[in-house]
Amino acid sequence: MQEFSLSTLLVLVPLLPLLGAIFTVLLGRTLGAKAHLPAMLGIAGAAVVAITLLAATARDVGPARGDHAEPVRPVEMISTLWQWASFESAYTPPAGSPAADPRLTPADLVAGKDVRAFSIPVALRLDPLTATMLTIITCVGLLVAIYSTGYMHGDPGYPRFFALVAMFVFSMSMLVAASNFLLVYVFWEAVGACSYLLIGFWFTKPQAARAAKKAFLVNRVGDFGLAIAVFLLWMTYGTLDFHDTISADGVIMPGILGQTRLADAAGYVGGAIGTAICLLLLLAACGKSAQLPLHVWLPDAMEGPTPASALIHAATMVTAGIYLITRSAPLFAACPGALTLVSIIGATTALVAALIGTVQNDLKRVLAYSTISQLGYMFASLGTGTLLGFTAAIFHLLTHACFKALLFLGAGSVMHSMGGVIDMRRFGGLRRVMPITAATFLVGASALAGVAPFAGFFSKDEILAALHSKAWPEPHGGHHASIPSAALPPSLPPTFQGAASHFHASSFSPTASAPDGSMAPESTSSLNALDSLNRPETWQVLFWMSLVTAGLTAFYTFRAVFMTFTGPTRVPDGAHGHGHDGHESYESPSAMTLPLMILAVPSAMIGWLLFSTNWLAHFLSATPSLTATSVAATATPHVFHINLAIQGTLAAAIGIVVAAIGHLGRRSDGPQLERFLGPVQTLFANTFYFDQIYAALVVRPLEGLALVAALFDRYVIDGAVDAIAAAPLALGGIVRRSQSGLLQRYALAGVMGVLAIVVLLAWQLRG
Amino acid sequence: MNTVQSLPLLQNALTVGAILFSLGLVGILTRRNLIVMFLAAEMMLQGISVSLVAWSRFHGDWGGHVLVIFVLTVAACEAAVALVFVLQAFSRTGRLDAAAWQSLREATITRTVDQEVPSIDTVPYRFPTLTPAGVLPPPDDNEPFERRHV
Repeated sequence: MQEFSLSTLLVLVPLLPLLGAIFTVLLGRTLGAKAHLPAMLGIAGAAVVAITLLAATARDVGPARGDHAEPVRPVEMISTLWQWASFESAYTPPAGSPAADPRLTPADLVAGKDVRAFSIPVALRLDPLTATMLTIITCVGLLVAIYSTGYMHGDPGYPRFFALVAMFVFSMSMLVAASNFLLVYVFWEAVGACSYLLIGFWFTKPQAARAAKKAFLVNRVGDFGLAIAVFLLWMTYGTLDFHDTISADGVIMPGILGQTRLADAAGYVGGAIGTAICLLLLLAACGKSAQLPLHVWLPDAMEGPTPASALIHAATMVTAGIYLITRSAPLFAACPGALTLVSIIGATTALVAALIGTVQNDLKRVLAYSTISQLGYMFASLGTGTLLGFTAAIFHLLTHACFKALLFLGAGSVMHSMGGVIDMRRFGGLRRVMPITAATFLVGASALAGVAPFAGFFSKDEILAALHSKAWPEPHGGHHASIPSAALPPSLPPTFQGAASHFHASSFSPTASAPDGSMAPESTSSLNALDSLNRPETWQVLFWMSLVTAGLTAFYTFRAVFMTFTGPTRVPDGAHGHGHDGHESYESPSAMTLPLMILAVPSAMIGWLLFSTNWLAHFLSATPSLTATSVAATATPHVFHINLAIQGTLAAAIGIVVAAIGHLGRRSDGPQLERFLGPVQTLFANTFYFDQIYAALVVRPLEGLALVAALFDRYVIDGAVDAIAAAPLALGGIVRRSQSGLLQRYALAGVMGVLAIVVLLAWQLRG
Repeated sequence: MNTVQSLPLLQNALTVGAILFSLGLVGILTRRNLIVMFLAAEMMLQGISVSLVAWSRFHGDWGGHVLVIFVLTVAACEAAVALVFVLQAFSRTGRLDAAAWQSLREATITRTVDQEVPSIDTVPYRFPTLTPAGVLPPPDDNEPFERRHV
């Protein structure tokens, strides 16, 4: 058995799906019905390797310790493949930036003493966060690929679908494994492109083409934010690498998230520049993870095939924003105002999306808004800025990937059997004719609603705990023994001085957090306003919003379950039925039900497993980004908050009961909710008029501008070219009139020429 | 030749030759009758011949005279060939008009037709007539011989 080093294995994870995609493109037509093989084998190989890497990283991190006697050691492995761009003597960092060498005076810098090279290495990293994300991506990708062999059977674009899925798995794996912000940007765009191609898979359908265009353009707004953030990061930190690099003469160049900078308490810039970077990263995350105000693309993205929705818009691509913010945790920790904004956006999105989801009649739309809402939960958790918040967000990401993929694949199973009908009002009582789908869907719905002991209950409980600890902070004297508060430099904001008894919001000033004060200008009023949001009252409001959202989640989820699977059995015409043992069975083929059953297992169990052993939180806390002083100092012991559990379960129970009253059994086709809500229902059904507002504010002016540009192109530019082309034609038309066919006129022309020559000669001879 | 002729004689002869040549040139360009065009071409040749003879006498060289004999011979052959062409052209269109052949014109040019000459056969004006009054005088036999009025 050959020795596979970890870096080889790390390269294999994106490489195998890429090869699968390439072979599917090359051999798809010849393989025909077996066109799924290269992609599936590639993703399966990547899944096996990702699990191996997870095990190796877990072994490196070591077992969880009960106390926090010593800080968790960061675990990372960098594997540089090649230098993509490398320019020697490219630039000199300006004086005062964190990238500048502190030993040199400004005069030295002007004299050109500190000349650095610009280099972008193609470097992959392996740390707990990456290992977790890779496992999720490849395993869900594999199950989706298996499912798609049944769902996409007979579709003329069968090879194209698998090529796109494999390409997506490659891009997403590279995104989470890249160790350089520029590479992250490249693969950020790549997953956006794969999403566009998959949403517009049936591009001959106008709504699908429009939805794909909308998704791409809205994502573009976020990408713009990411690009500017990359520029600012470059200017501030002098490098785009996550990891520390050693230059040719042995000087360590600290990476943005490298261990040198993480250990340095004053390593991150706060103030205006830092907040700008964080807000731009937040914009990028909102675009990719469909948060307010860039959430409008995700419901329309349901025009794509359901397995693509399950993979991209539930489990993996939309989690790229969560990944980015978690990875940039130290950057955000230096700007508490930005963190609060993250939470506000997250909680608001969760509530708004949940409200919209309650009145949707399309099963996939309900799940889409549910995805937006759950991502909002994750953002709310990230914005607390505590280690619990970050790990709870990733925990919820993991459980959400399992149960949301399960729900989407179940919806796809229903849609496939019902012949393309997904409107819940047109079918009902399907649990009798699709038992496996119904059972697994119920498991997924319970997990989503937060019913104990399914997976969602524990992860939602953790998120509520994170919000609760910010909303009602208590004096924790002994919990932060890992970092004695006296050792923290006063330049860090008081939030992260663990032993603070009460939150001194008013005494916080942004300039105090800037390391040298040279890059951050004087605090502006908007920065003050942003930071003034960071009060316990805000967090209390966010906590109650999240609790209400939990209730709404349970409501709309079980409304969907009751409307679809309970009540009298109604099947629309055109559904694919096969007669089995006496009555019709609309169950999907085993290629589709097998992944459902496989996903039902972690949806049920993984929450309890990871929570009771606290393994995930301990594992993730060894991620270098989360070992930063500012984040790791907020570690709290692992406690099961019974009061929060009760509150969460109560909210879920209320939601389920209301859904049952409205939609269970005989009333499963009913418009009860619409009658109950009245005019508010129109507001929810029209998605709070976001699409209409955007159409009026953004789309129409741009269409007008495009029309002006088109007219300019057609009449001015093309007109100029046509005029230039018409000139010889006109000239020819004038000259053509002399060709009359009359012999004597031709002779006259000859005589005129002779006369001219004679006159010329006579004139020259004379003169 | 024994003597060189004087310059004024040369100039006069060249003038005659030039006049003949230009008249022939104008005739070709202007006249539409194919035979007249050919006649004008012959006149051009004769003009050239006069000039050649004049120069030859001026320089006392027989070369010009010899060339004129050649020119006359060629003119005669050319006359034969040209009249064959004219006969063929006439047998195709029935007209000796050079403007009858315009098919080598550009496709966008219309055929040049002669300007319409207004005919002088107008309807004679009917003068008003008076009814005869009185008695006609008796006819006079001498009247055609002795006319008293015009």
